[in-house]
Amino acid sequence: MTKPLLAAAVAATLVLTGCGSGSGSSSSGEVRLRMIESLTSPERTKLIKTLIADFEKANPGVTVELVSPPLDSADQKITQILQTKKDLDVLEVRDHTAKSFSNNGWLAELPTAEWPGWSDLTELAQKKAVEVGGKAYLIPYGFYQRTLFYRTDYGMTQPPTTWEELYAAGKQMTSGDRYGYSFRGGKGGADYAVMMISAYNGEALNPEKSFYLKDKRTIFSTPEAAQAMELYVKIFKEASPPDSVSWGYPEMVQGFTSGVTGMLIQDPEVIKTVEDSGVTAWSTAPIPKGPTGYAFQPVGYAGWGATSFTKHPKEAVKLVQFLSEAKQSIAFAKGNSLIPISKQAQSDPQFSQGAWKAYLQAQQDPKQVITIRPVDYPGWSQFLVDSDRDVQALITGKTTVADVLKSWDAFWMDQAKKVS
Amino acid sequence: MRTFNVRRARFIALCLLPGVVFVALFTYYPVLRGAVMAFQQYNLFDLTSTPFVGLENFRAVLGEDRFWTALRNTGTWVVVSLFFQFFLGFGLALLLRRHFRGRGLYQAWVFFPWAMSGFLIGLLWRWMFNGQFGVINDLLLKTGIIDQRIGFLASPGWAMTSVIVANVWYGVTFFAIMIMAALQSVPKELYEAASVDGASRLRQFWHVTLPHIRPTLALIVLLRIIWILNFPDLIYSMTGGGPAGSTDIITTFLIQQVIGGDYGRAGAVGLLILGLLLSFSVFYLNATRFEKSR
Repeated sequence: MTKPLLAAAVAATLVLTGCGSGSGSSSSGEVRLRMIESLTSPERTKLIKTLIADFEKANPGVTVELVSPPLDSADQKITQILQTKKDLDVLEVRDHTAKSFSNNGWLAELPTAEWPGWSDLTELAQKKAVEVGGKAYLIPYGFYQRTLFYRTDYGMTQPPTTWEELYAAGKQMTSGDRYGYSFRGGKGGADYAVMMISAYNGEALNPEKSFYLKDKRTIFSTPEAAQAMELYVKIFKEASPPDSVSWGYPEMVQGFTSGVTGMLIQDPEVIKTVEDSGVTAWSTAPIPKGPTGYAFQPVGYAGWGATSFTKHPKEAVKLVQFLSEAKQSIAFAKGNSLIPISKQAQSDPQFSQGAWKAYLQAQQDPKQVITIRPVDYPGWSQFLVDSDRDVQALITGKTTVADVLKSWDAFWMDQAKKVS
Repeated sequence: MRTFNVRRARFIALCLLPGVVFVALFTYYPVLRGAVMAFQQYNLFDLTSTPFVGLENFRAVLGEDRFWTALRNTGTWVVVSLFFQFFLGFGLALLLRRHFRGRGLYQAWVFFPWAMSGFLIGLLWRWMFNGQFGVINDLLLKTGIIDQRIGFLASPGWAMTSVIVANVWYGVTFFAIMIMAALQSVPKELYEAASVDGASRLRQFWHVTLPHIRPTLALIVLLRIIWILNFPDLIYSMTGGGPAGSTDIITTFLIQQVIGGDYGRAGAVGLLILGLLLSFSVFYLNATRFEKSR
């Protein structure tokens, strides 16, 4: 990539967006770090700024400038800046950008051995920190793990524990303007289909490469996958609002809080929304299992990393470590309704009571398995776009279960060849 | 005198320089870079190797059914949107040309959508068209026009209609503004002369107004066609191109390639769009030039 022009373009963009001072050392010897976030929202930015202020207080002579691009174009902007290898020290790395950022040599490996905070990280946080090539390119700041939300005022005393039960309960709830399940047919919808297919494949699935079975076939190639997809379509047709063919996150949650639907599967950040909505008769449970007795789901995550080209590696790493230590990371997890990375959070009442209990319950169940999605395969991003489209085609009757599974199977067999 | 002219030319060139640099940097450079990428394997996943692959990206794009579906949808999206925007805009301009009480307020109200971002408009209409919670369904139910909710964004046929309705609402304004400006440029004497000759209002419109504003109309129609085709914001925020690709146009298809991380294919789609628009513009300008010379 030609650097000077791109660098000039990025610099000009940063100047125009009011972020022009750049990282470096001032004449007084003060170190200026530039940090960029990806999942930007006003409240979150405010919270990060307070944490940064604490860091600056604890590290006199170091100042941090936070760049907060708009959410929908943030990762593209971060990629552009990384391509220039200039003016960036600390950045937010997401599960699906970690591999490409490290592949391209943009991330520094973070030291873990001599950092006391490392031993305070939960097993999951440590595992995810080194998920890419066994090296710590980021320290996660929290996890997104799905759970089942259900309305107890809709005649449901016990939550469904299997997808079949969810379908039956949803169908029973469906009448008039009320439906059983907040189906996700819009962006991100295919992930729910994959979740069901995984549960139906059960023990045969390889959790480390969760689109593949232990015998190297894809999870989409089995009769169990077809069974799961048939049920998936039935859940949409018989237990979900027809409009949910285009529902994304906001509509799903709105469906549940407004009383249009009685069940929802979502991340913990919904807890606060449901609490604020005034709905009182609701509860949570671990996600449903397949006939195999297993449930599989990945945990979504993001974290803080340092660039490989920072002029201040010591200070950049220090900032990442500071944000990942117990006090800061728990505050961040609380502020954003995330599953925390610090072991100390387990004794915090917020994470062990009420709606959060279901997450602990799931973590203690060996058959609620955390998987690793093939985010490190070159076709991952393309699959996310294509599979959502396929799911919409399937539930609107434009294609068949067999055709969808055949194309997904072919795609991932091809990907396996590319990676091996 | 000559020295003065040279100095003046230099001064003008100096004043223009920042603009030229900005346009070169932010318009021509990205276009050239994208054009080069179209012939490279340029996947964001691994930029350590970006070899030239000839026409491979074009072959891949043209071999996709989704591209052809998007191209067909683009035709519907542009033609239907343009038709309604033009005629409704024209009507509004004629109405707003007249003097009446509160005309300023009406003008502000009509022009308001043009000040909003396409993405925001998309989000707004997405909620209004929502099958369960949307105000449009509520209104139709309460007025007895329908007896059960319509999934405006859920069924392929309705989804295209819905995005076009939103686009028409947005684009009418542009036509209204431009046509109003054009109408104001018609000399009053022409109407007076036509009136003396006994021409009715309709004949005045046909023989005075229309010929006078025709060049402006031709230009704004061309501009609008290009803008509508290059306006994925609204569709992307309303339906994301769904359900099942039924509202995909070639620019949303392009966005999907970018999100997929394949900048090589995205570059190829970009060049195809550029080629399409250039060919159309040349054809259209030739056709309208012929019309003028006639």
